[in-house]
Amino acid sequence: MSIPALVTAVVAAAVIVASRGLRQRAQAVVLPIFTGILLLAVWHLWAESTWYELATPGQPTRRVEVFPTPGRVLPAFAELASDGRIFRYIIASLFRVATGFGVAALIGIPLGLYAGWSTRGGYAIDPYIAALRPISPIAWIPISTLAFGIKDEAAIFIIFMGAFFPIVTGAATAVRSMPIAYVRAAHNFGLRKWELLRFVVFPAALPQIITSLRIALGIGWLVVVAAEMTAIQSGLGFLIVDARNMGMRYDLVVAGMIVIGAIGIGLDWLVRRLERLDSVRWGFSKE
Amino acid sequence: MPPQSEMPPKIVVRGLTKRFRRGNEEFTALAPVDLDIAQGELVCLLGPSGCGKSTLLNLLAGFDEASGGTVHIDGEPVRTPDPRRVFVFQEYGIFPWATVRENISLGLRRRPEAERREIVERYIDLVGLRGFENSYPGEISGGMKQRVAVARALAVSPEVVFMDEPFGALDSLTRLSMRQELRRIWQLERLTIVLVTHDVDEALQLADRVVVMTSSPGRIAATIPVGLEHPRDVLSPAYGTLRKHLFGLLGVQDGV
Repeated sequence: MSIPALVTAVVAAAVIVASRGLRQRAQAVVLPIFTGILLLAVWHLWAESTWYELATPGQPTRRVEVFPTPGRVLPAFAELASDGRIFRYIIASLFRVATGFGVAALIGIPLGLYAGWSTRGGYAIDPYIAALRPISPIAWIPISTLAFGIKDEAAIFIIFMGAFFPIVTGAATAVRSMPIAYVRAAHNFGLRKWELLRFVVFPAALPQIITSLRIALGIGWLVVVAAEMTAIQSGLGFLIVDARNMGMRYDLVVAGMIVIGAIGIGLDWLVRRLERLDSVRWGFSKE
Repeated sequence: MPPQSEMPPKIVVRGLTKRFRRGNEEFTALAPVDLDIAQGELVCLLGPSGCGKSTLLNLLAGFDEASGGTVHIDGEPVRTPDPRRVFVFQEYGIFPWATVRENISLGLRRRPEAERREIVERYIDLVGLRGFENSYPGEISGGMKQRVAVARALAVSPEVVFMDEPFGALDSLTRLSMRQELRRIWQLERLTIVLVTHDVDEALQLADRVVVMTSSPGRIAATIPVGLEHPRDVLSPAYGTLRKHLFGLLGVQDGV
């Protein structure tokens, strides 16, 4: 088995090196495919080399694989899909992230705008945001399970703690870095307090708020897996610990990890779509 | 129309000063300044950076609080910005998240819908932005952005327009055509304009009167009336004499 894998790895590496001669558009297609093939081949070679011989008295010696090869992970997907488990877990995880992230945005955006806009608001809120922010959301797991039990709410709270602080600081920083000319122009043209907030401060801060939402959603997706490993018994995080604890099914562990990565890319892609809206595009151009 | 000397000045500045604190040190950005500006006059504040010309403009517009002295416009003391006196910023003044049309209607929120639309369309035409009314500032040139700022200011029918180096970010050809346009609009609307610049030719081409300012501390060095007919011929001897005189007042040698 390892000879074809070795050949594949060498061919992939050769193509990557030779791609220098291709046009840029061809490189953009060829390079990601062949680094993928190379990585799979290296994974296969490495996983195959980790085995030991199990000698049981009275039986022939067996060869036991420690790490799953790519070829063994593929059927794991089919197994997870066939009983519908993977879909239930994906929905459970997404629901928790959406709720925790949504509540964080709902509270975090107005609070951040207020802290950034009002000097008094900044004085009152800033030190506590600064002090709570460096505490890993994972550190809240014991408190959260104590408060909510082994329930959805426990995981949602932990995701909230992960997503909330980047959103508050993002919104506050956005308001503080706003050019003073915007506010002066608004005052000059007779805008009232709420109009100023609605038509100037909020749109001026929006690109940076979207960036902070993107970071917060990324953190939320990181944290949900950790929360589900301890605070609850469903979801993709639970799938991973469960697969290990119930029969050392490392093929299922890896399949679960790949699903987590793919969904993470999807979530990031969704938020990035927001950056293309007409009213925020100005904040993302390289000009 | 009575001679200007019989009308009370539009803007009256008396003993206006501004001091800033920099750590423990206090420094004077603007030494006491007296200045009268007539209704319908176009005045340029000319000077190097640090001469207090922008400080003076911000005080006139009510964006900043004076350390001493007073500004009166039509006999009323100036304390806060007011839509009757609008400010055109050099950069960032217009909102990048709003279209050209939305930017121009900024000051017209409380007008009836039909009136607002009529005014906005009129000023889009006046500054030559037809065809770009739905564009965002990021999609148009620097000169066009500055026209949006001018249109937004004029749309509220102000009595006074303050401009802080409005054409500073533009290339020299665009700058020249913007000056011609400003002069044309000024004649149409009979506005009072106070414009800050560090460009001697800009001041000489535009102004009825040039207020020359010098630094440390910022103060008015001289007030020079420019009695030249428009369009002004930059190669005429009279223009050349004034130009030399202004450079002399600024302590700079003309010619490289």
